[in-house]
Amino acid sequence: MRSLSCLFALMLVSPVGTQAQETAADLPAKAQTCIACHGPGGNSTDPQYPVLAGQMPRYIYLQLKDYKQDRRVHPPMTPMAKSLSTEEMLALGDYFAAQPRTGQVEQGDPALVARGQKVADDALCAMCHLGGFSGQNEVPRVNGQHYSYILGQLLAFKNGHRTNDAGNMAAVVKTLSDDDLKALAAYIANIQ
Amino acid sequence: MKQHQRLKALSSAMFLLGASALVQAGGEVPQAAATTGKAIPESVKAVTQARLTAAEKQDKDWLQVNGGYAQTRYFPGKQINTDNVAKLVPKFVFQTQIMESMETAPVVVDGVMFLTTSYNHLHAINAVTGEEYWHYKHKMGPVTVYCCGPNNRGIAALDGMVYMATLDAKMVAFDMKTGKVMWETQIADPEKGYSETMAPVAVDGKILIGTNGGEYGIRGFVKAFDAKTGKLLWTFHTIPEKGHEGVWATKDATGRDMKRNIEAEKAELAKSGGDFYKTLGGGVWMTPAVDLETNMVYFVVGNPSPDLYGDIRPGDNLYTDSIVAVDLKTGEYKAHFQYLAHDVWDLDAVSPPIITEAAGKDGKKQKVVIHGGKTGHVYVHDPKTLELIRFSEAMVPQENMWTLPTPEGARMLVGANGGVEWNPMAVNPTLGLTYAANLHQPMTYHVEKAAYPGGEKLWLGGAFKVIPGEDQWGRLAAVDMNTGKMTWKADTDEPLMGGVLATAGNLVFTGEGNGHFNAYDARDGKKLWSFMAGAGVNAPPVSYTVDGKQYIAVAAGGNTQLNFKRGNSVLVFGLPD
Repeated sequence: MRSLSCLFALMLVSPVGTQAQETAADLPAKAQTCIACHGPGGNSTDPQYPVLAGQMPRYIYLQLKDYKQDRRVHPPMTPMAKSLSTEEMLALGDYFAAQPRTGQVEQGDPALVARGQKVADDALCAMCHLGGFSGQNEVPRVNGQHYSYILGQLLAFKNGHRTNDAGNMAAVVKTLSDDDLKALAAYIANIQ
Repeated sequence: MKQHQRLKALSSAMFLLGASALVQAGGEVPQAAATTGKAIPESVKAVTQARLTAAEKQDKDWLQVNGGYAQTRYFPGKQINTDNVAKLVPKFVFQTQIMESMETAPVVVDGVMFLTTSYNHLHAINAVTGEEYWHYKHKMGPVTVYCCGPNNRGIAALDGMVYMATLDAKMVAFDMKTGKVMWETQIADPEKGYSETMAPVAVDGKILIGTNGGEYGIRGFVKAFDAKTGKLLWTFHTIPEKGHEGVWATKDATGRDMKRNIEAEKAELAKSGGDFYKTLGGGVWMTPAVDLETNMVYFVVGNPSPDLYGDIRPGDNLYTDSIVAVDLKTGEYKAHFQYLAHDVWDLDAVSPPIITEAAGKDGKKQKVVIHGGKTGHVYVHDPKTLELIRFSEAMVPQENMWTLPTPEGARMLVGANGGVEWNPMAVNPTLGLTYAANLHQPMTYHVEKAAYPGGEKLWLGGAFKVIPGEDQWGRLAAVDMNTGKMTWKADTDEPLMGGVLATAGNLVFTGEGNGHFNAYDARDGKKLWSFMAGAGVNAPPVSYTVDGKQYIAVAAGGNTQLNFKRGNSVLVFGLPD
């Protein structure tokens, strides 16, 4: 079973040579604020800010809602979300979901990536995140996300600093060593 | 990539969106719902109640996903048999546009096959040539919430209509000839975690349907809709408002102690009250069996919510992890039997029940209802009371049952996927055997306190993980329903997920996640034929006859839950011309 999962990476082909032609009308008003950190079209190049381009719209919406209602805490994000209406949060989710990924995936150390794939298989990540970590509904797409962002979130779940996961992620990562989490993050970040 | 209504303004980005959706979400097509193509031939007759009632007594059509109302998945045709199955060859491959998990069991009517894909595409094709007649693409509502893959397991047909339930929890009725949508109704609220992957059953002018959502804190049900109009006729809630605490059972169906802390549970119930029935889960994943002689509808009920954290849901959590019978006409409760009270392992009841015959407690042959459990046992019940007549020996290894989950993880076998997952079993009535596709996945069970997150997030209350270094494998087990002993077993490299077909040719068919699709001798388990499908064969096979030639069909689309290689095809096999 495990040997098959390497094939999934091949199935995921990111759009190449295409750039969304954004117009003022396409861009939700509030998205201007987002792209200051998350980059144009949500293609963040600063690893401390997650890539939002191509994310699950429902995940973006629910995270904004969690920030607004203090279920997820991040000092810069919380005030941003507090100012948003439900409609604006939905529109932002849809907008960033529709943007193509433009960044390059981070090339991790092959041995670390291989170890990370094994960790992912054993933890049954794909059962929720789907094959290739492409996400579904409220479960985020995490393939190609910044390594340091992924690792930061895994550690936050493990250490109880992020608790808006209904216990699911906490239960998965609690028994993984920090080295396993680094390998897992390297593997996920390396998936196209 | 499910919400596209609000994106209409982004027309410049639509091509890109379509392209990325195809890649990221495995092929969901973001256009509006539409049926395209042409009508099926005039020679195809409506599927009347009389045809459905006699479905399992004829060797021409495959009229229901599990063969007929008894769900034996036994095809009486024997043109393909143990003597010639080695010569079986592919006749055609029907490729869908959806590269995602396929769990569909095709329905075949007068040479026309109706098959479904992930994300609710429905195709009507020629069952001999693969030529497509019509194709329906479902436009998802703004919210779809579902566990374990965007699957669909097939349709029901009745009186010139076919029916499919959707991920956004709708029932859609189609004109069988053209695929035109005749009516559509909302079964339940997807915002609260309800979704549909099961095939409905059409009977007595009604369309019966259960629900997914046991991983989201739903309140499960089976509903009956009027087949002609879509009007709701009755609802049976799998979680009663009162009395779900049950009898405070301390032992499972096999008599083993479940290590419950009954005093603590009673104290919690006294403190918090029983209002959690609204989020106690109890999904019904698979198609019910129907006994038209008694008007009994049999189905199995899934896990309580949250799956692994039981402290906040004291009591037996009736009717989770149970087989239940209700009255076909009214939905009124008739009987139940609970396999596992207060489940904290997600070892629930999923595989569809089968009505067949086996020795009763007195040794005399009688009608029975059987179910293959995630626990690894086949359970044999009295059809009237659902009293347990016997349970089979464990088909896969069990260890440390019932060790309670811990925050650090506690090892227990079987793993949380089974035993027998949703995989439909099959029966060879002549041999008195039932065939079950099993998984062996050593796991640790982890509990994590978690309050109800509102219906919009997965709510497991923990996790289960496979154990590094411990082998996983599958087992096709032939169980003697009269004794509960395994007559034979055929082990596979991969845990088995998909389902089984038995035929009068003394054959048993099942697929593997590595792409092998196999035929076994029903008497001794000898593998007689195998075909490499190129993607996981994780769907229930079916059989049918057109113009005097028998065919075997199966989907090869891989599986989300076990991450088996995805594909997009239905393969059809027959003997050489």
